[in-house]
This record gives sequence, C-alpha cells and structure tokens, in this order.
Amino acid sequence: MSQATTSWSRIRFQDVSPFLPPIIGLAIGAIAWEIAGRLEVSYVLPPFTDIVSNTWDVWRSEAFRSAALESLESLAIAWPLSIGLGLVVGLLMGRYRLVEWMLDLYVNIFLSLPLIALIPIILLLFGLSQTSMIVIVFLYTFFVVVVNTSAGVRSVESNFEEMARSFGANEARILWRVIIPGALPLALTGVRIATGRAFKGVIIGEQLVRFIGLGGLIQRYGGAFRVEDLWALIFAVGLSGLIAMQLVQLVENFAEKRLPRGRRTSQ
Amino acid sequence: MIELKGITKTFRQRDGSAFHALKDVDLKVLDGEFLSIIGPSGCGKTTLMRMVGGLAKADAGEIFIDGRRVNGPGPERAIVFQNFVLLPWVDVTSNVTFGLEMRGLSKKEARKTAQKEIERVGLTGFEGHYPHELSGGMQQRVGLARALAVNPEILLMDEPFASVDAQTRQILQDDLIRIWQEERKTVIFITHSMEEAVYLSDRVAVMERGPGRISELFDIHLPRPRDYSSRNDVEFTSLTTHIWGLLKTAYEKDGDVPSDD
Repeated sequence: MSQATTSWSRIRFQDVSPFLPPIIGLAIGAIAWEIAGRLEVSYVLPPFTDIVSNTWDVWRSEAFRSAALESLESLAIAWPLSIGLGLVVGLLMGRYRLVEWMLDLYVNIFLSLPLIALIPIILLLFGLSQTSMIVIVFLYTFFVVVVNTSAGVRSVESNFEEMARSFGANEARILWRVIIPGALPLALTGVRIATGRAFKGVIIGEQLVRFIGLGGLIQRYGGAFRVEDLWALIFAVGLSGLIAMQLVQLVENFAEKRLPRGRRTSQ
Repeated sequence: MIELKGITKTFRQRDGSAFHALKDVDLKVLDGEFLSIIGPSGCGKTTLMRMVGGLAKADAGEIFIDGRRVNGPGPERAIVFQNFVLLPWVDVTSNVTFGLEMRGLSKKEARKTAQKEIERVGLTGFEGHYPHELSGGMQQRVGLARALAVNPEILLMDEPFASVDAQTRQILQDDLIRIWQEERKTVIFITHSMEEAVYLSDRVAVMERGPGRISELFDIHLPRPRDYSSRNDVEFTSLTTHIWGLLKTAYEKDGDVPSDD
C-alpha cells in the first residue's frame, strides 16, 4: 500500500504539461455535474452539456452583450482609479509612519466590514447612478491594494536604503530606485487580488443598486427561473475574472523574474 | 585627514542600564593612509565606521574631514558594506552605476565610469549578470566597484571580506592592495582578522569593549608592495601574535556583551 502511494506521488503531471492537472480537475468536475444533471438532483443543476451549448447562445445574444458592456464600463472607470490610488496611498502608508498612524484604522475597518452593510448608505448618497457603482467597486478593491503595497514597502530591507543614503541619495531617488522596485512583487499581488474583487464588486453593485449590466441580468434571469441562462452569465463573470487575474499574474511573473523571492535580501 | 574627537555613544540596554558602545574615542587618519580597526564583537568598530560614513550620529564628540564637520554622507566618502547590499533587481552594471546615479548623473554618463571600475575589479564579462548569479566574492567586487565609481577620497570598508571563503578572501585582499596602490585613497577597514589587518594596513587600531575604545595603535612597517610572502616576515608574525594576545584578553574579560555588528 505504502509502495503504491509512493509511486503515485512520484508521477508529476506538471512534467508532462503545466495545463494537464487543471484540465483533469475540470474534467472530473464537469463529469460529476453531468451525472448530477442527468439524475435530476435539482432543477438548478441542468446537465452540464445542456448548459455549455446554451452558454454560447446566451453569450451571442444582444441582451448579454449590452449588459457585459455596461459592466465593463464600470470596471474600466473604477479599476484604474482604485489601483492607482491604492498604490500611492499604500506607498505613503508603508513609507511614512505618520500616514500609517492616521490611516491604519480606516484600512482595517474597511477590510473587515461587510461592504454590503454600506450599500444603503451609498444608495442614499449617490442614488441609482454610475457613481454608486464606482464607489462600490472602489471599496471592494482599494484597501486590498493599500494593505499589500504598504506591506511591500515595509518588506524592503533598511540596508538598501542606508546604502543609497551613503551615496547621497535624496528621498525621491530612494523611493524610485529602492523602495518601489523592492515593494513591487507584494504590491502586484495586491493588484491581482483586487482585480478579482473588482468583478465581485461590479456584480454585487449591479444586483443591489443599478439593476443593469451582468449583475442586473443575473437578477432578471434568476427571477424568471431561467437557470441555464443564469449559468451562462455566471460562467462569463467567473471566466473574465479569472482571465483578468491571470493577466496581472503575467506582470507579476515578469517582475518576479527580475526580483526572485528570497533573493530580495542581500543574503 | 579624518579626525575623530571624543566620540561617545551609549545604548540603553533592555534592563535599563547604559551600555557604552563607544567612549571618548580619539583618532586621526592621514590622507592616503590604510588604517584597519580590529576588535572583539561589540567594541563599536562598525558603529565608529558608520559615524565616519555619516550614517550614525555620536552622542558626544565630533568628526572632521579636512577640517569640515561630518553631518551626514558626503561625496568624498564611499562605503563598502559587509553584506554587499547589492540591489537584486538590477544587473552588475546598474549596481555599479547606482552610486553615481544617486549623485545625480544620468545612467549614460555613469556607464563609462562603471565600465572602467568593473574592469578594474576583474568583472569584465559579468556586466549583465544579476547579483544572485554571482559568488560572494564576485558580489563584493561589485560592491567595491560601486564605491570606487564615485571616486571617493575615503573608502570605508565594513568587514568586506568576512563572508567569503579563505582562498577568495586572500585573492580579494591582494586585489584591494593593488587597487589601493594605484590611487592611494584613504581607507578605514573594519575587520575581525588580525592577519588581514596587518597584511593590508599602514596602521592598525585595536579596540576593546565595555566601554568601546581604542586601546592600542600599531604602525605596520612591512615593506610594500606586499604579497603572500609578506606573511613570512618576522614583523608580520610578531604583530599578529601580539594583537591576538590583546584580543584574547578582551574576549576572556567578559563573555557575552551586546553586539553592534
């Protein structure tokens, strides 16, 4: 028995292809779903093959396209805004003790607070407007970027800064040449997590506030018990979030190559 | 000339009592002189060097360089660090140009000087390598090239060869002597090794701890240029033996004291 376990653990699928293990995982999930669907376990679980064939039709429908565009518009405004501001505030918080003291409390509150609790307030403030959407997405993403960036800044060894100072570096040069490159890997991890959360924020916002976009469509199909169409929307949102996070991962990998983890210290 | 006058530094220990890292240290280092400071852990030798470098402040006392008071880092000084402190995210060339760039030169201007220093420390062909691709000895060559690139009058070296193996250390010492001989910069060299101190230096300052102070200063009259056979010189053996005697006493006097290096 133990012999068998050992030889199993020796098989390394990633040696064959890095894509193989996730594909096998997906296949097992799809088969299990298909079986559950054929057995009619629940009406919310139609057979997987039915959903897949329907998904393509939904994705090509006019309703889906205009809804997706609306969702993307909110993302396109809120994402750069919150990432940009998050990086700057994170840098300031990680670098300057006074800023950290002032803002740390807010960051921690917003990270632990269920943001749904804030939605009535946002509604009262901005109504059923796009501003509400942007605020919601912002709240979902901004603080994650702040926390990770400031952790990244603090992870830069003081040795490097001291070395730079010994060559007469001013604060601007220390920031640009030492702190920012040193903080980059952790900051980018924050950006990646925040990117995933931005999709969450958009859908939740659209469901609760605006009833437009993919979130609005989800509400409508849900209310009409259009289960198969509902799954098509969920796949679309899940897939695009995944792709967006992978894109950030590519940037991360590039930075990581330049800055291998564990080599960041001066040995 | 570097002058240290009455340098005192006290640290508050965990139990609340004062630890005299340095007490009333006076020292003069002449232009073009190679001076080593040797002493047991916790004698404040690294703190002293950091003060000359402008990275640490004394509680009392003053440091003058050519009559000007030291208030911080300055263009006439450059430090070679014990742990190299190379930026891991840039290659050898960019590490060497770093000091010049911090002083306001453009990368393009800095490159030419950097290339000259990279050749001088024997790293030609490694310009595009990243620090983690280099051995410890080569990394310290980058550290040395970075310091030399800003053309300082004074080179401050904090146990620069402490973390490389014995053979590499020997080679680095010889290369350092060769480079020093070319330009005769003033060098303050912190070390734990009496052989290294005697082999390299014009003078050796021996420190003791509790309180940290300079207990003895030796002139080294070994003829230059020196090479490995200088170690067979009678003066070399008698001096290293004598310094070891002093250090041994210091080590035996008290076992465990806070270390600043």
